[in-house]
Amino acid sequence: MLLAALGCYGLLRSEGGGQQRAVHAREVDPADIAVVDGYRVEVVARGLNFPAGVTFDDSGGIYVVEAGYAYGEKFDTPRIVKVAPDGPRVVASGEEPPWSGVTWHEGAFYVAEGGVRAEGRVLRIAEQTTVLADHLPSMGDHHVDGPVVGPDGRVYFGIGTASNAGVVAMDDVSWVKRHAGFHDVPCEDVELRGDNFKSLNLVSPGVRLSTWTGAFVPFGTRTVRGQVVEGRVPCSGGVFRVDADGTDLQLVAWGFRNPFGLAFHPDGRLFVTDNGYDNKGSRPIFGAGDWLWEVREGSWYGFPDFVGGHEVGSFHKAPGKQAPGPLLARHPGTPPSPAATLPVHGSADGFDFSRSDAFGFVGQAFIAAFGDMAPAVGKVMSPPGFEVLRVDVDTGDIEVFATNRGRVNGPASRIGGGGFERPVAARFDPAGRALYIVDYGVFTVTRTGLDARPGSGVLWRVVRE
Amino acid sequence: MIWLLLACASARRSEPIAGPMTVEPEGERVFDRHCYSCHPGGEGGLGPTLNNRPLPGFLVRWQVRLGLGAMPPHDRHHLSDEELDALVRYVRALRRH
Repeated sequence: MLLAALGCYGLLRSEGGGQQRAVHAREVDPADIAVVDGYRVEVVARGLNFPAGVTFDDSGGIYVVEAGYAYGEKFDTPRIVKVAPDGPRVVASGEEPPWSGVTWHEGAFYVAEGGVRAEGRVLRIAEQTTVLADHLPSMGDHHVDGPVVGPDGRVYFGIGTASNAGVVAMDDVSWVKRHAGFHDVPCEDVELRGDNFKSLNLVSPGVRLSTWTGAFVPFGTRTVRGQVVEGRVPCSGGVFRVDADGTDLQLVAWGFRNPFGLAFHPDGRLFVTDNGYDNKGSRPIFGAGDWLWEVREGSWYGFPDFVGGHEVGSFHKAPGKQAPGPLLARHPGTPPSPAATLPVHGSADGFDFSRSDAFGFVGQAFIAAFGDMAPAVGKVMSPPGFEVLRVDVDTGDIEVFATNRGRVNGPASRIGGGGFERPVAARFDPAGRALYIVDYGVFTVTRTGLDARPGSGVLWRVVRE
Repeated sequence: MIWLLLACASARRSEPIAGPMTVEPEGERVFDRHCYSCHPGGEGGLGPTLNNRPLPGFLVRWQVRLGLGAMPPHDRHHLSDEELDALVRYVRALRRH
């Protein structure tokens, strides 16, 4: 604190929730989770493998989607498992991870697929699998998100951006090695200011040790002032909808960074959680929170030049680095203000709205906060996230709904006990009586990289007492 | 010394840990809009913990207006004087919560 007050932020070491040396076998104990008075936490399933979402069929069956991929280049089989008393039972599987979300609607599962190795898709899985959308540009930092079915019966999903802030750099090395020509794709034509950013080049070091890269172009490609990058749909950082038979793909809104969670308010409004910029790469942006947006059709939400509705500038200068400037010569619109700004690096992910008085807080959002990936995303002084937040979308009021007990915040593997590791999704059952929380499991950030532990995921449930 | 002792106290004040906060709702709203992302609920995050640091109000105002270290300044365009007053009252109440 004193060092921070004196302006010595750069001297302090990062204290991220995943920054641990040795993690022992995961304990699971709901008594180690503090929840708002009048509610109780239960364990529904454990031993899940990188779980990312939960859904429910018409007869009350509970299904978890297991991603089959974790950052840090861990690959497995993406699948949907039915939660049963005698253990999970596989009901569907795929070949292209990650499966980052699932929803059930009128006799079928809808899945957001990939695309780490291949282009992303949205699938409808019943007796046969139907591809609703394909060739989705999702092979970078962020993937296909959602999906969720709207009041209009159409399937809504998101696609995250390829890069942190519009410029591919060496923080993207894992996917640049796989897809050297991949980059962010705007949804409309954009005119560039022509700024280029220097980066180490460990992709083809025999050629040059460093290289320069501009916005919306492949790694190692320069841009010039006035250059126009052609937009297309599907694109990066957008929210889309498609008919349940796979026809009429439409762009709903764009300019998001990673619209991971999508949910409809009981009154019909669509909201998304959006993971904000990180302090990394050749265009680092400091102090960007995650956002909860109301999605307004046709709007542009600011990527890569706005942070929560404010244009980038000195306010988002990382210590010891240059203040970020705009990349676009003209902005496609004026971004709206977020419904709420959530903790920086807290990773606000899957969420849902309460719809029933049986649970309470009707109309409020319950958001799973995965927790930081510091220091890979930038430094933090204490672990943000690792809990479930409650947000009033009309006032912007933010409250913690469920969190680990203890003197400090963080994942159970860091602070002790058997509570949350990394909540990644929250969804109410169809009756609205219980909130299910998908916990991805132990995920550490070590000197050698990111390390997600297979089989450590848990499905929790919160009910009113 | 008193700073060190107070720094040892837990900063956790969120509703599941400490119960609902019912005072200074106006200040809480200002806090949620402008401060929560770096100091979630007054706890640490990107920035330091606020809940167990007995900074006097004038120093809170000074730091918010001028910025310090990694924290950027918040001028009257960002935060009016009335909002800053409410914020200071809320942070003080949060420490006692």
